[in-house]
Amino acid sequence: MRSIKILERVLATIPIMFGVAIIVFFFIRLTPGDPVDIMMGQGGAISAGELDRLREEFHLNEPLHIQLWYFLRDAARGDLGYSYVLKQPVTSLIAERLPATIELAVGALLFSLVIALPIGVISAVRQNSWLDRLSMSTAFLGISMPGFWLGIILILLFSVQLRWLPVQGRISLGTGFQERTGYFVLDSLLTGNFAALKSSLLHLVLPSITLGAPVAAVIARVLRSSMLETLRSDYVTLARSKGVAESWVVIKHALRNAMIPTITVVGLQVGILLGGNMVIETVFGWPGLGRMVVKAIFDRDFPLIQGTVMIYAFTFVMANLIVDVLYTYLNPRIRMQ
Amino acid sequence: MARFNYRIITVLLLITFVFSACAPSTPSTPVVSATSVAPTAEQASGTIVIALAAAPVSLDPADHRSRESETVIRNMFDGLVTRDATNGVHLELAESMDWADEQTLNIELREGVKFHDGTEMTADDVVFTFERIINENQIEYPEAHTSPRKGLIAPLESIEKTGDYSVTMHFSGPWPPAMQLLVHQQIVPKAYIEEVGTEGFIAKPIGTGPFRFVSAQPGFEEVVLERFEDYYGGSPELTPVGKACAGQVVFRVIPEASTRVSALLAGEVDIITNVPQDLIETLSANENVQVKTAAGTQPKWIELNVNMAPFDDVNVRKALNYAVDKDLIIEQIYGGRAVALPGPLSPYNSFVNKSLSPYPYDTDMALDLLSQAGWADTDGDSILDKDGQPFAMTIDTLEEWRSLAEAVADMYRAIGIDANVRFWEYSVVRDQLLAGERQAYLDDWGDSAFDPVGHFEAKWHGFVADTPFGRGNFSTYNNERVNELIEQGETTGDTAARQAIYDEAQQIVYDEAPAVFLILPEEVEAASASITNWTPASDSRENMHDVCKTE
Repeated sequence: MRSIKILERVLATIPIMFGVAIIVFFFIRLTPGDPVDIMMGQGGAISAGELDRLREEFHLNEPLHIQLWYFLRDAARGDLGYSYVLKQPVTSLIAERLPATIELAVGALLFSLVIALPIGVISAVRQNSWLDRLSMSTAFLGISMPGFWLGIILILLFSVQLRWLPVQGRISLGTGFQERTGYFVLDSLLTGNFAALKSSLLHLVLPSITLGAPVAAVIARVLRSSMLETLRSDYVTLARSKGVAESWVVIKHALRNAMIPTITVVGLQVGILLGGNMVIETVFGWPGLGRMVVKAIFDRDFPLIQGTVMIYAFTFVMANLIVDVLYTYLNPRIRMQ
Repeated sequence: MARFNYRIITVLLLITFVFSACAPSTPSTPVVSATSVAPTAEQASGTIVIALAAAPVSLDPADHRSRESETVIRNMFDGLVTRDATNGVHLELAESMDWADEQTLNIELREGVKFHDGTEMTADDVVFTFERIINENQIEYPEAHTSPRKGLIAPLESIEKTGDYSVTMHFSGPWPPAMQLLVHQQIVPKAYIEEVGTEGFIAKPIGTGPFRFVSAQPGFEEVVLERFEDYYGGSPELTPVGKACAGQVVFRVIPEASTRVSALLAGEVDIITNVPQDLIETLSANENVQVKTAAGTQPKWIELNVNMAPFDDVNVRKALNYAVDKDLIIEQIYGGRAVALPGPLSPYNSFVNKSLSPYPYDTDMALDLLSQAGWADTDGDSILDKDGQPFAMTIDTLEEWRSLAEAVADMYRAIGIDANVRFWEYSVVRDQLLAGERQAYLDDWGDSAFDPVGHFEAKWHGFVADTPFGRGNFSTYNNERVNELIEQGETTGDTAARQAIYDEAQQIVYDEAPAVFLILPEEVEAASASITNWTPASDSRENMHDVCKTE
């Protein structure tokens, strides 16, 4: 029964993706700016007819509905076209960049969970204590602080002043790193290269903290409030009155139920971690999808924007789907329905 | 199933507790190890790391229109000619170049020049290189298309081999800027590209330059090159001649300016480009850093819509030129690293009119001209008015010129013009500018070939759709005599005659002032103190051939 439901949800992503594709297609073409003009830049001369030839090559001289037809026809075959500027298939450009973005998102998620789970639980258990107040005001700061600013401050402190961590990039030169999958930490492990492993992990630290800080703050606040709610519920009081140890009450009875709203938030944040990292990728020179799509937008590189936005949409849809599936494990009542 | 639930929770908690136990030590754990990994490995073997502000789009010399691509490409590929750090053109792969007549160029090639795969460069490679650019649909990957660099050498009609080491180029007419623009085309290996195709060539580019390709990260976020031991030495006119000094050169993309500066201060990179004005002082104060400048190629001006009131009156346009204190701007905003524009061409352009000098700062003259145009403060509100209408203007510009635009607007307000600034994205505002819908626009127009072609006709010739003429003309200026002179200038081979033509054109544009001629900022770059023989180039190229690093 459950697998049928999951299958239904997976199939439901098809019309969603189709809708996203159409909306993105029209929105980017309605934005003012001609990709060919931008591509040719200022310097040097342009021969007469050269611009027309390029428009023809990109099918930009055709009416919009014909362009849409070309796009959908090719997309159905898994061909997202090729980038006007980078002159490479969009699918391979995305495939090249995606591992960097995922690796950073995983780093940031791990950081945020490591920070947020204990803080959320402890703040709830010790409500109104100095620890609670301190962690909640830090969380507030974490949400309010612009990632750009935090990133620069961390770089100035840990990289320029203390020289503890690298400023930017994914790995240092001279580690003998060999790329296999594009996930540098994984590749270093696979090849048994510990210098590369150390370097790639160190490079992850500052961007993960910068990207993960606001996420950690959100998770900690949600977890705290749902923990407070469950800690006051009857079954927790019952467990306590039966003489169950307090730590066991917190972990088994309260945390488990408080995890349901928390997981929803984490699921949404995963989408944000993957899709909202343009600024962090720019600050840390992290060669991921976010930076590529920002450049593509300025270049009006239609196929590349379209392909990347569809990947983002797909990630959001999938993150939500996974959250729904996780629910059924955490809460038997949802499973019954 | 219930047991499974427990398992998830237990694992989650375990992870949480394990990590939280580690949490206090997280900042200190990497500390010890970091110092041994990050910066030192890069400095090990004569490796020079250059931080670029944007990624190259391709490493195929025929398939891009970007300065960053050319910066990397020209370290791997040499051309028939090259340019020094200013605007001098020197023979590189060509041993001699002689014009048989105004349309025919005979070229003798240097013998014994090797590509990075050991094969010798011959006339076949040169013919192949240029035919790949000028003929249609020669680049077959990922879909057949014509080189975007064709326009840079548009008058070239054909090229023929006249010997193993000699070729002849045939042009459609006299083309005075040929030498400056040939700098931007690099020779590629015919046999190799025919064997591996464009896709294989991009994956492992091979040229005749001082460095050979080692590896590249996706999107060219990092390109690693190593010294080519069989290099012929480069242009004999540019010393030192010989192999490159550095063993390895790495181009790395760091888009954010403050991160680039941090990386230089932390010793992760050796040279950074596009140093922002506000960080120059910080860098100059550091004894481990050297800051250098090169003559700029991006003149800035405010184009005034000559068909829209009040800028349809030449007195108003001239008044706005007199009302700007360019020296104050250069001193305060650019720290002295800029020059005032003497007119419509950069002072470094080979054909600048030397008799012109920048409009002086003279508010009395400005007010006098404005009153001649009928503008005076009749109601005592400190804003000039005419026929009951206040003098209001909006300077449209891009975010990156914010401080410059705001300074100018402030100077205009000081003489009674209600000026304000509005910010745009270039691709959005461009169509409105060409359609004559905007009033005043502050921006620049690149002049890296130091020749009026590619620059003068784009800005000051009347707009003609689908031609280079007026394609960047945002003032809707259209003077028949200027148009005529520009067309003559592009086909006159004789230098003195050409100078006379452009002198007259510049004088007319200067007098009619379709723009407020502002300033030309210098290009600012910085390097660590251990870098020697390094000179930033005006065309933003990082020529690494002579650059060394002392350990």
